[in-house]
Amino acid sequence: MAPASFELIASLVLRETSIIYEPRKEYLVEARLHPLSVQAGCSSIDEYVQLVMRNPVERQKSIDALTINETSWFRDNAPYQAFTETMLPALLAARADRRRLSIWSAACSSGQEAYSIAMLLDQHLPPGWTVDILATDVSTAMLSRVQNARYSQVEMNRGMPATSLVKYFNRAGTEWEVVPSLRSLVRTRHLNLAEPFPMIGTFDLVLLRNVLIYFDQPTRHGILRRIHPHVASDGYLLLGSSETTLDLPADLNAMWDREQIGRVQAHRPATQAASTIAVPRPHPHIASGSLTGARP
Amino acid sequence: MTQRAMIIDDSRAMRSILRRIITGLDFETAEAGHGQEALDLMEAGFAPDLCLIDWNMPVMDGYTFITEVRKRPEWRNVTLMMVTTESEQGQIVKALAAGAHEYVIKPFTPDAIVEKLELLGLSGKGIPA
Amino acid sequence: MTIAPEMTDVHAIVEQVWSSFLGDEEPLLPAYDADGPFGADDAWSSAVSIHGGWTGTVTIELSKNLAFSLTRLMMAMDESEALDDAEVADAVGELVNMVGGNIKSLMPGPSALTLPVVAAGRAAHSSDLREVSRFDARWAGEPVRVSVHSPS
Repeated sequence: MAPASFELIASLVLRETSIIYEPRKEYLVEARLHPLSVQAGCSSIDEYVQLVMRNPVERQKSIDALTINETSWFRDNAPYQAFTETMLPALLAARADRRRLSIWSAACSSGQEAYSIAMLLDQHLPPGWTVDILATDVSTAMLSRVQNARYSQVEMNRGMPATSLVKYFNRAGTEWEVVPSLRSLVRTRHLNLAEPFPMIGTFDLVLLRNVLIYFDQPTRHGILRRIHPHVASDGYLLLGSSETTLDLPADLNAMWDREQIGRVQAHRPATQAASTIAVPRPHPHIASGSLTGARP
Repeated sequence: MTQRAMIIDDSRAMRSILRRIITGLDFETAEAGHGQEALDLMEAGFAPDLCLIDWNMPVMDGYTFITEVRKRPEWRNVTLMMVTTESEQGQIVKALAAGAHEYVIKPFTPDAIVEKLELLGLSGKGIPA
Repeated sequence: MTIAPEMTDVHAIVEQVWSSFLGDEEPLLPAYDADGPFGADDAWSSAVSIHGGWTGTVTIELSKNLAFSLTRLMMAMDESEALDDAEVADAVGELVNMVGGNIKSLMPGPSALTLPVVAAGRAAHSSDLREVSRFDARWAGEPVRVSVHSPS
């Protein structure tokens, strides 16, 4: 594709999703836009990029195609093991009065993370407990995939234990569909992590894995600041394994305690810092009353 | 100690694909074109930690191979993973009931094999802790 | 009415097989070659049959160039290495095995899948079989056709 086309599409994606496509990623952009370009009857990627610039439907389609992440069930395993072995027992003890857990999959992509957690809860949640799993993403196409809860054979092979496949899925044509009892645990909502968050409440566990790496540093820091009030004071935030070592400015660093659970490092809201973080932040428009008020 | 894998598939091309993935995980490999050939290799002394098993093969199919391995107490620690195009839910249930530990449906990507082996605690590079 | 797999399902299955084993730098593009995309001299074909709850035959026909390229890709061989017919037959056979097995899972079961039969040349079908589904595509400009036949 022409450098000018790449620049156009990269700046569109950056503007709409804050995700950065560096110049050497041209092949990736081409590979992802190629099927759309053919579908739209364009003779070249450059022609398709022109169409994207004037057609909102194609614009949304191309953004969706460029924000897809490779993902698997129980990705990296260790976080899920840490969840069932350590975090869940702690939360069950702490929430014994309410008997309700809330979990946020904060860049849910096609939903494997949210449904993986749902499967574990189906196996480990004691009777009488309820759970609410919120799955959010910047891509509306991804959100409809989560709602449809259908996965291709190739996707099913990625980390899904065979025993869970036969227990939690039914064949639906060439795809596999999540059983209704699990689907009912997961609700979806459109949310751009790079923008101020809507009122979504607080969560016992927030999964923000393998998504910060797609943002530039100021945006990453902004997200980690804004997500803080949405993690319950005794809750957990899980980042991707390569994301726990990101350099943070001192004030942001002080907002989070790090706790090693097995092979996983969890972030937890720092108790000492809790009183100091509500004071002015670098982005005053983000620290809205509703968000600070959402803290327990 | 290096772990050993037996790749059982009647297609050389498929064995080649699986071999590249498995040797990348530092497994030592042996190959068989059908279940009987694999049993013969095992009788002759190749002691696999893992078998990757196709279902539809000449002479002895993968399902029969699993039932044969499960009859032998000395092979009880061998991890059995089906890698097959058989993709009906009933077939997966049948293979698991016969003693398969995991099941990969063809087509698959290399990541799928690696992730399944992680689930089984067999990520190559020696005996797991 | 004959029960037949939907063309879109056949397409989805072929696409998955292709992208899993043959890389996705070069996409498989649907083509609509009504008369058949290639001559008999320049083709390879492979077929598997399904018997049981549903009966039919799944056939893949592809150009010789494509058969050789995909064999090299599957076997991780480069252009300089010579290929023999047995290797090509093996790779093309495995391709139809994967497509056929997945098509079997869409149809009423239980059914059994035969081992693949491979030939240099186009596929021939007996007159009591009728084509019920077909997917034509091109990969790197080379043609491939997947068709499903069942007894009429």
